[in-house]
Parts: sequence; structure tokens; C-alpha cells
Amino acid sequence: MKLQLSFIIFLLFFYSFPLYAQDSLHRGPVNQLLRDTSVNGNEMLNEVVVTATRTENRVSNIPLPIQVISAATIRQSGAQRLIDILQMQTGLMIASNPLGTALQGYPNPFGDGIQMQGLDPAYTLILIDGEPVTGRNAGIINLGRIAVGNIKQIEILKGPATSLYGSDALAGVINIITDNPQKNDFNFQSYYATNNTLGLTGSANLKTKKAAWQIFGKRYSSDGYDFDKNIYGQTVDPFTDYSFSGKMIYDFSDNSNLLASVRYSSGKQKNAYLIYPDNSVVAVGGHTIEEDKSIFLRFKNRVHNLISYSVQVYGANYANNANVYYKNDGALFDHIGLSQTLIKPEIQLNIGKDPKSLWMTGVGYNWEKISSTRYDKVHQLNSWYLFGQKQWVFNNANIITGLRYDKNVLYKAQLSPKIAFAYKFTPEFILKASVGTGFKAPDFRQQFLNFDNAMVNYNIIGARELGNVLQDQINKGLLEDNEDVRRYMIPVELKPEQSVGINLGFDYTLKVNTVFKLNVFRNDISNLIESYSLPFISKNGTGFFSYKNVNRVFTEGAELTIQHRFNKQFSMNLSYQYLIAKDKEVIRELKNGEIYKRDPLTNVSSPVDLSDYKGLYNRSKHSGNISIRYNNDKLKGSVMIFAKYRGKFGYNGLDGFNDGNDILDDDREFIKGFTLLNISATKNLGSHIDIQGGIENLLNYTNKVYMPNIYGRIYFANLNFKF
Amino acid sequence: MTMFKLSALSFVALVMGFVSCKKEDQKEEVTPAVTKTDSVRASTTGNFAFYSFKDGKAIEVSDSATTKWDFGIRFVSIIVNSHASGPGNVGVVTEKGIFDTYTVAPESGYAYDTTSSKLAINSEVTGGWYNYSGPPTHSFSPKAGMFFVFKTTDNNYVKVEMLSARYEDFVGPMPTHIWHKFRYVYQPDGSREFK
Repeated sequence: MKLQLSFIIFLLFFYSFPLYAQDSLHRGPVNQLLRDTSVNGNEMLNEVVVTATRTENRVSNIPLPIQVISAATIRQSGAQRLIDILQMQTGLMIASNPLGTALQGYPNPFGDGIQMQGLDPAYTLILIDGEPVTGRNAGIINLGRIAVGNIKQIEILKGPATSLYGSDALAGVINIITDNPQKNDFNFQSYYATNNTLGLTGSANLKTKKAAWQIFGKRYSSDGYDFDKNIYGQTVDPFTDYSFSGKMIYDFSDNSNLLASVRYSSGKQKNAYLIYPDNSVVAVGGHTIEEDKSIFLRFKNRVHNLISYSVQVYGANYANNANVYYKNDGALFDHIGLSQTLIKPEIQLNIGKDPKSLWMTGVGYNWEKISSTRYDKVHQLNSWYLFGQKQWVFNNANIITGLRYDKNVLYKAQLSPKIAFAYKFTPEFILKASVGTGFKAPDFRQQFLNFDNAMVNYNIIGARELGNVLQDQINKGLLEDNEDVRRYMIPVELKPEQSVGINLGFDYTLKVNTVFKLNVFRNDISNLIESYSLPFISKNGTGFFSYKNVNRVFTEGAELTIQHRFNKQFSMNLSYQYLIAKDKEVIRELKNGEIYKRDPLTNVSSPVDLSDYKGLYNRSKHSGNISIRYNNDKLKGSVMIFAKYRGKFGYNGLDGFNDGNDILDDDREFIKGFTLLNISATKNLGSHIDIQGGIENLLNYTNKVYMPNIYGRIYFANLNFKF
Repeated sequence: MTMFKLSALSFVALVMGFVSCKKEDQKEEVTPAVTKTDSVRASTTGNFAFYSFKDGKAIEVSDSATTKWDFGIRFVSIIVNSHASGPGNVGVVTEKGIFDTYTVAPESGYAYDTTSSKLAINSEVTGGWYNYSGPPTHSFSPKAGMFFVFKTTDNNYVKVEMLSARYEDFVGPMPTHIWHKFRYVYQPDGSREFK
């Protein structure tokens, strides 16, 4: 422990693999593999990951596009929340549900998610230690509520991963791997930044011969900020988040262990806005409280040289409660509540030589339950699944094939295959190719929602509830009982949204210090579920919306990464993503000459040419990032510069522009590209303390109307203790 | 290729226009159609704003029970003067294409406001006559390449294209008024030709 911390950070970044191969059950084969230097001479490809195969594997052995964000990178960036780290990565863009965009002081109720390979946040599965995070609001898991602290690494797997993880893993998987206790130590961090943002993080690890313990706690709060004083309420309201977790690993022997972990997090955010009953103005306010609880138990046992199994159960509950009161008399104005529970037992069996010829299979069950003030009753969405994967590692090639079967009570069984292949032409040049399918189950909202917004006169109804609600309206005499209405009362079975994803690329090691990675991807999504309005209204003027499978879209592009280490002090990472994302229905209609545009100045209409179609809104054709690290052992200091460029992207109705169609076909619909530049410096003061300071968004980019989640320049300071 | 197709198409259109012009010339004299661009101020929650093509102006709410008006609009909902909406017999055909080159109204296929929940013009958020941008601007814009042919309350034909929809003011979650701009070609002599 006498090594300087900054040096350790440097080591972690470049030589991270031995530290990560810590799971006693897999230590043997993985370490063997790591010593086998003939496989690949470059340490930059040596990180060990679990997301791609559900077994430990070195990045260079995985024929899939996977990216690892190390603990050192996270620490060096000073980031406090998951979203802050993810938005700086190549090909990942912040995306929020358009309905969640702040309007006239209304808070954004859904939070921010991440767009991957051009697909919306709903299509990326978010895992913590391999288990799904619950609580999607309007398809989005609010990544702002996931604290950063005891993270070992973040693994980003791109391309469909349904063959291992089931529903939602269409675009890919983000798996947050938490730290395991290595020794007795105690860490404390205090963080302070602009907007009175305060982060207090502490963790303690205890390691005995047989057992390892960890407790972790974090408090993160901010005053938020207000971009427009003329609009009632703040742009981002003050909030306070707490997260706690505990973990215990007990080794019965070298071959068997038990892991138990619990997590709890809560986020409390103020809300204040105006409502307009009967054309008068009334102020309301209160709090929204999000709570997230989970428990995980896993027993792993290696019964034979070639056979190991694990038995596990995961339970999680997400609750979101908003209480809003009238400012004048304190009476309750509105209560919105949502509670989602998941219980997921699973057994996994590994047979064979790891990784040379490993057969992995598993079976599990999902009990999922949801209740909400916007649903009529408590709904269940139970499913069971079976998956298998075979992995072969030859001298110059490796192959992974996988298959998963998901049976849900509400829709047809899904079979999701995947095959991935890597071939090493030379030790420096590895070709990687994979094809897989993915699906996303229709969510609770699309199936069961019954939301009657009496203020604006519309009713959103889940596909399964539509018949009941319309019948109810007929019974109340609000709808006529005729053919036009009857047609919509036939029960609609929403099909899962489905995708086929292809990834093709290579890793090319030029000397030991430079690596090129290229990945070309294509995703074809069908049966996209969208809301639509019914072509009639009730006698009291209420319009109806429901959900159906409609669109087919595709996204395609390429991701290029160059990593280079100049010397012991300097290293650099440069990445670029090219992306095309289009709606196939729109292309068909354009080919048929069915889509027109109207010049907003002359009001003259003309057909839109196919070549004018620029694709889906909110996608940047060009994006990229660059990070530069400098480390000086003598000065015990390090500096990191991180820049993310997001090229121009379309926004429907930007600045009131509209040319009479709903597609992106005009340059005036683009939000200009921008760069977020972060810089941080860390200085080690002896073996127990280091200090850090930095500036996020140094260029002070803001777009107050369309990207209110970007504040502008933020200064921060960090103090770390380690004992 | 597309460019070629386009120019070929416009060439065909040109020739056809020429041919049809010739036809027109051979015909006996036709009353010239009235071409006009106008706007109505529609309330978002209150009464419908009514309009008459014959008079070329807005009609008072007090005349809502008469056959003086052809269509009415509230926020983005359009009603026409027939059955459930009024005593007239106004029918509408919703057409797709280019307004300017459209010359003859269809003989049949007119839709009416049969019931209060089944109207001649679809004003729903998806599938209706406009696009809705959603937050934060919540702007509406008439779909390009879509227009209406009315058989009016005085049994004449008119082709109508909605051009724009602009909020008068927008404070709070609900705007109070919206201006709809539209243009039309009204044929006062009862013929179906818009010339």
C-alpha cells in the first residue's frame, strides 16, 4: 500500500485485469488464460468482463462489441451519478421521453435515459451486478438516480443480448459491476460543486479468511437551478438522494461461496408548478419520492473440475410517489403512485473447460407485479425462461452460440438466438462478427394503462383494457354502440417489439501501445409499439388513445476507437460514431410519393423527395469523444481531459418550425451540434488523502429550452480519504 | 433517377394541364372561381368559430343553427354544417396531393357529420388533418399534401387547404385562442370545375 495512489490509478487503467479476476470460482481458468500471452499481446484488451457471456471472459476473447469503464476512469472524472459518466461515452446520448420535457415550469417526471446505437432508452437493459434495475417510467429508467461510488467497472455491451437477458436488451446492456471487498479498508469522499451540490460517500470493507463484508452509503443533494425566472417553479428542483448497500461474501471452501447483497436508494425531489382550473391560476407543490430496494442471494458451487452451478434469487421493488398540495390551503391536489415488484429466482449450470469449451445453461422465473393510481387494479406479468450458451475457444478462433426461450402469459413465446464469432488472422488482428435477435415485451403501460386526463379531455388506454373501457363508455351512454366503435373493442394482442442486430468489426493492435477498434452495426426493429388516437370522441368530448404495433425502423452505423499510449505519462482515447436511423414506413411512403411538405413562407406544397429524408429525430449522424490522461509520478498528480461531441440532431417542431409533415426533412429542424468538455486534476497528498478539482462543461454550453438538463459550467472539488 | 422521374412527372403534368386548358377553351364560358386566403380565430374551449365560403367571412355564433355557415372550428376540431352539427347538407372529401393542380371536385364520396363522435373531417391527434409537435412548443400544423373538397351549404363546390395554425398567446398549460389560416377556391356556379 505504499504505492502512490495516482500510480495505482494508472495501473488500474492499463493493467487492470489481475485485480478484477477475483471471483474464486473462476479464478483458475481466467488466470490461466491471462498468462497465455500468445492470445493477445495487448493489455488494453485484457479487461475481464461478465456481461457478454455471463461467465468471466477477457475482452479480447469476446466476439462482441463491449466497452469497459474502469473504476479509475470514474474516480478520475469526479462524476457522482451514472448518467454523468454514460453521457460522455461513445455512441451513448442522453435521451428523455419527449413527454417528459419540462413545459412551462412543469417538472420532467421521467428523468434521463441513454440512447444506444440510435435506439431509445427503453431498448437498453440496465443491470446492477447482472440483475435488472426496476422502475421504468414511460420506458425510461432514470439514470440520474443511480449513484456512483462502489463501482468496480461499468460494462457496455452493444447489440441485442436477449439470448442471455431476455426482454429489453435490444440495443444492448449496461451492467454496473459493484466492488467486492478485497481487504480491510475505509474510504470517504466529500464532493462539492456548483448549485450547492454536495456528495458524501463512505464505504467500509472487511476481509477475513472466509468472509468479506462491505457497507456503502451515499448522500447526494443539490439545490437545482432555474433557467427562466418568468416561469413558475425551477427548471431542476432541489433534490436529496440517499443510497445504501451492503454485501457479504462467504467462502465455504475454494469451490463454493455465498453472496448476499442488499441495496436501498431514495430520491426526494421538490416540485412546484401552476395549474389552471377554470382559467384561474393556482400554485401547487409537494414532493416526488422514488424508492428502490433490492436483495440478492447467490450460492455458487464448483462440484467438479468441469462442473459448477449457481442458485440465486433476486427481489426488487421500485416505488414512485408524488404528492402535490395546493399552496394556499395545503389540501391534497393530486397523488400519483406507482409500485413495481420483481422476484426472480434462477439457476445456472456451467459444464466444461472454461473458456475453451464451456456449456452454460440456466432457467428462471419472473414474478412481476405492478400497481398504480393510473391502473385499475394490481397487474401481474409473470414469465419463465430457459437459456443456453456454448462457447468454444480455439487457437485462432472462438465461437459463442446462445439461445433463450421466454414464455410470458400475455404473448406468444419468444425464441431468441445469437451467434458470435471471432477469428485471429494474426495476433494483432482479430475479426469479430455477431448476429442476434432481441425483443421487448409490451410494458404495463401499453397493456393496462387507464389514464383519464379530465383537464385536457383525453383518455390513454392500454391495449388490453381498451375493450373494457369502451364498453364502459357505451354503458354510461357516452359513446354510441356502432360499428366504428365496435371495431376497436376486439381484444388487441400487442406483440413484443423485435429486433435483429448485426455487428461486424475488428480489433487491430499496432505495436503494443496503439489499438484500433472498428464496429459496424445494423439493427432492424419491427412491431414498434406506438400510441394512436381512435377516430371518434365521446359525447363529452373526450378523445381516446391506445397502443398498437406499427412502425419498423432501422439503425445502422459504425464506431471507431483508437487508443494510444504515448509514454508512461500520456495516453489518449479517440472515438467516433456514425449513425443512420430511419423509419421504413416513411421510406415506403416517400417512394410512393405520399409525403408532402409545405414551405412555411410561401405555403406552397410539394412532394418530399426520398433524398431529403434525414431520418429519425434526436439522432446525431456524427458524434465522438476524446480523452487525454496525463499522469506524473514525481508530482503525484494526474490530469484528465474528456470531451464529447454530439453532432446536429433533429427536433420535431424546433422553434415552432413546421413544414406540414412529421418527418425530419429540413435543415431548420436541427439543433446545432455541441461539445461538452470536462477537465479534472487529482493530486495525491500522502497515502491516505488525495484531492481533486475540476470543471464540467468548461465551454459553458447550454440550450435552455431543448436541453434543460445541461446546466452550464460546473466547478467541483473532491476530497478522498482512504485508510 | 428520382430527379428524372420528377421532371418526367412535371412534364406530364404540364402537358396534361395544357391539354385540359385546351378543353376548357373549347367549352362555353365558365364562371371564374373565387380564390381567397383567409384566417379564423378559434377559441380552444369556447364556441366554434363559423365560416361561410359564399360570403367569404366568419359567421356569428348566433347563426350557428342556420345554414349560413359551411364549417366551424374549435381549437383543432373541425365540424361541417350537416346532420349532428347543423341543419345544412355540407359534405367533405379529404384529398391527398397538390392543391394547385387539383381541378375537378369528385361526384360522390362526400362524408358528413353523421354523429357527434363521427365527423366528416378527422380531427384526431394521429390520423387527423394536422401534425402535433408535442412539448415544449405544442405546435400544430396542417398536414402538407392534404386538402378538402366541400359541397357547400349553397350546393357549390370549394377546395380548401389549411395552411397554418398559430397560437394567439400561450401562458400556462392551455392556450386560449388559435388562428387558422387557410386558402380556398370557390366555384359559385354549381359546377365541379375549379377554374
